Amino acid sequence: MINTTLTKKILNTLLETGGSFSEVFAQKKEVNNIRLEDGKIENSSSGFELGCGLRLIYKDSTFYAYVDSLQQDIILNAAKILSAAVNETGEIKVLNLSNVCSSYIAPIKKHPSDIIQESKKEILLSVDSFARNYSNYIIQVSSNLSDLEEEIYIANSEGIICHDSNTKVMLSVSVVAQEKKEIRTGYKSLARTSGYEVFDIEKPSVVSGEAARIAVTMLKAVNAPSGSQQVVIGPAFGGVIFHEACGHGLEADAILKDASVFKDKIGKKIANNIVTAIDNPTMPYHWGSYAFDGEGFPSQENILIKEGILQNYIFDYKTAMKMNKKQTGNGRRQSYRDIPIPRMSNTYLAQGKEDPDSILKSVKKGIYAKEFSGGQVDPAIGDFVFGISEGYMIEDGEVTKPIKGATLIGNGPEILNKITAIGNNLDFAPGFCGKGGQAASNEVGQPTILVSEITVGGTEI
Amino acid sequence: MEDMVKKKNGKSLADFCRNSSLKIKKLKVDEFEIYGASSTHNELELFNGQIDNLSFAETKGLGIRIFKDKRVGYSYTSILDECNIDKCIDRAFSNSKITFQEEINYLPLESEFKNDKSIIDKKILFSKDFFNFDIKQKIQLTKELEILAKKKDKRVTGINNLIYNDSLDEVMILNSTGFFDSYRATSAFIYLSVISKEKDDTSTGDFFGYNRSPGEFNLEEIAANAVNRSVSILGGKKIKSQVVDIVLDPFVAAQFLGIIASIVTADTVQKGKSLLKDRISDKIFKGDFDIIDDGTLSYGLASKPFDGEGVPKGKTVIFENGILKTYLYNTYTARKDKKFSTGNAVRASYKSTPEVGVSNFYLKPSKTKLEKIIKSVDKGFYVIDIIGLHSGTNPISGQISVGAKGLWINKGSFSKPVKEVTIATDLLSFCKSIDKIGNDLRFMPSGGYIGSPSMLVKDIALSGK
Repeated sequence: MINTTLTKKILNTLLETGGSFSEVFAQKKEVNNIRLEDGKIENSSSGFELGCGLRLIYKDSTFYAYVDSLQQDIILNAAKILSAAVNETGEIKVLNLSNVCSSYIAPIKKHPSDIIQESKKEILLSVDSFARNYSNYIIQVSSNLSDLEEEIYIANSEGIICHDSNTKVMLSVSVVAQEKKEIRTGYKSLARTSGYEVFDIEKPSVVSGEAARIAVTMLKAVNAPSGSQQVVIGPAFGGVIFHEACGHGLEADAILKDASVFKDKIGKKIANNIVTAIDNPTMPYHWGSYAFDGEGFPSQENILIKEGILQNYIFDYKTAMKMNKKQTGNGRRQSYRDIPIPRMSNTYLAQGKEDPDSILKSVKKGIYAKEFSGGQVDPAIGDFVFGISEGYMIEDGEVTKPIKGATLIGNGPEILNKITAIGNNLDFAPGFCGKGGQAASNEVGQPTILVSEITVGGTEI
Repeated sequence: MEDMVKKKNGKSLADFCRNSSLKIKKLKVDEFEIYGASSTHNELELFNGQIDNLSFAETKGLGIRIFKDKRVGYSYTSILDECNIDKCIDRAFSNSKITFQEEINYLPLESEFKNDKSIIDKKILFSKDFFNFDIKQKIQLTKELEILAKKKDKRVTGINNLIYNDSLDEVMILNSTGFFDSYRATSAFIYLSVISKEKDDTSTGDFFGYNRSPGEFNLEEIAANAVNRSVSILGGKKIKSQVVDIVLDPFVAAQFLGIIASIVTADTVQKGKSLLKDRISDKIFKGDFDIIDDGTLSYGLASKPFDGEGVPKGKTVIFENGILKTYLYNTYTARKDKKFSTGNAVRASYKSTPEVGVSNFYLKPSKTKLEKIIKSVDKGFYVIDIIGLHSGTNPISGQISVGAKGLWINKGSFSKPVKEVTIATDLLSFCKSIDKIGNDLRFMPSGGYIGSPSMLVKDIALSGK
């Protein structure tokens, strides 16, 4: 996208006032989004974006500028303005640049640009009719199909050049069910770092069927019991609890700001010894996967917690440099308009040994939290909340009545020590995570787990 | 500013809009609309008195809506060369072929965008003082906030987050019915989150400033509020689960009001996703409260002369004396209900089509002081901050369950700090349970610009131990 001569010129212009690191990140992106609601295609929209971001690091400060263009004079002008922020003598000069490789290989079969709009429409229509046929209680179905294709070019003053491309497809379905005055919702999504071949493997109707099942099931929900109790957290999206309550506290920017409960804890026991947690962007086609991070470094598996002992944090280039560590390929950015920051990718609690049914059977009285609507955490103190979107009571080892309006509230580090059983049914779920105003595609994952004690916020006191 | 952009890239936003309209006119379309936006943006993040990140940018983009055979297609581009504008127009056209055909799919009529409603003075969106601050002064001002906060209380041990950003935006709409207008707006935002420690306990607290110019920030007040929100909760403990009266700080109350804002928009109502469907003329609140959406409010950061479709912004009383009077509309949803748009077509950027959303949305305050409300509570919970609002509330079903921290109220005065508890209710019960409101209206950016005074809410389920 930018030739090597110009790349060197940009990197050196940035460094000429004494900066220690310079980078250029160019991106060309095309997106499509189709929305179906009320039984009709309400919106079909496309977008084209192109631009580049320039980054300069001087001491602990990052200076950043971006332009909606790849024109030589415009980029060099921005580089000049940016370098004026530093006022020293330039000592570093970039002479050689060489390509970096990644071991992440995931070929794309059906590129979004080769799929006609009519076929995309068909997918949504099938999703809609499948959900509506599920039950008479269903009053609304909204579904979204979006795809993205992008080309990325990154080069920095350490001498690396990275060429990358991404293809992503996401289908999400929201269903509303109503019985008299009770209204309930169900949500399910399917998202892969792949082309439309995703629908050859996973049927869109399964996604809408699941969203419909949740909405209809929850119509029968009773008020959630409040207070401290045993909670079994279901597989896949249940992993959001680890992502929010612990993952964010392991991102190195939080550590550097002394805004994490996990500061100075590497090598220390922070969780029950059955807990192993991993961040892994190298799993082919997963939603949070990538060949290179937003700084051009190859993706890699990063074991965060092994048998209860904290192993490593999640780094980008700058935080690693400041802490004298090696970056972990987690410097992610939403687009050329954003500064890379340390982010999770696919983050999960590793497979355990127990049969998930026997975990449920072991609970005399408690809650089974199967699906969540998301969560929020204050990493500085580890406090978190999660909204349960599909949950049930557990009575004498049996999953019984669905519950509504329940939230889990607790503290990350405390919960890690209260995980007393882990199932053998590891599964993953996609989502978006927001941090510093940037959205990133993430996957969370876990097997069924048992937490011995956690506060359930409900209305039944 | 237009001159500045012109000098740099040769063409102004108006040039791009006009040029695109000439291109579209050559196609066989029924109607079209071009939404152009440009922005100059600065962002600054400080840590320990040093610049952590400093970024600046100038961006521009076009969003094109094409109407053909009563179908609508959309496409946007940030690449403003001839070839890519052609591609964008072409894609908007092809997108229109797969969307639903409906009689009411047409642009606002000339009579709808040239009505008699009060059109605001565009000057209120724009502060000349904004240009008196160069980047050095912005850095200085942000540093000053950190120093002020650290001085306030010796338990403050660090800064969790300190961010300043500002932008100078220009928005322009040109459509085939003859509308062609633009406005420019300035805004500056500063956010501080502090960490405080005492014995084994750590607590965070945050506050912000949001104005037309950095010169309008009250740094002293921002620092004091952030620090107070952090230290006042130090040593907080979980308490026993119980049903209790709660008092919501204005910013917490505004977040709850934001949920109500999401279900008074006509699209959620028409799609059966609002609990306020078929409730016009019903008394939803127990008290005689007024809730207003006013896109013309002089100090409102969401004020605009016209909405995302060019329809003039207006003032709509949604609840009067606690009674639901109307929903909020854009052009499409208004025609569906045989009404007129209330000027509430909202576009997050040139990348999005006009949806229905609030502007300056607020609960009209009473004359009662917060102190008086607190005094009236025998046993209760004063909520300073909530967490997990988005995951813990479902505006469609109405379920609300969020994490909360604050101070316990005993016999009309504050006693001990409380944390790690949840408060739960459902939206309609919440509306019925608001017993009193204060005189302390405060606004915060959250979707639109949402404002509320303090609230006393009766008999809410609190879960703790």
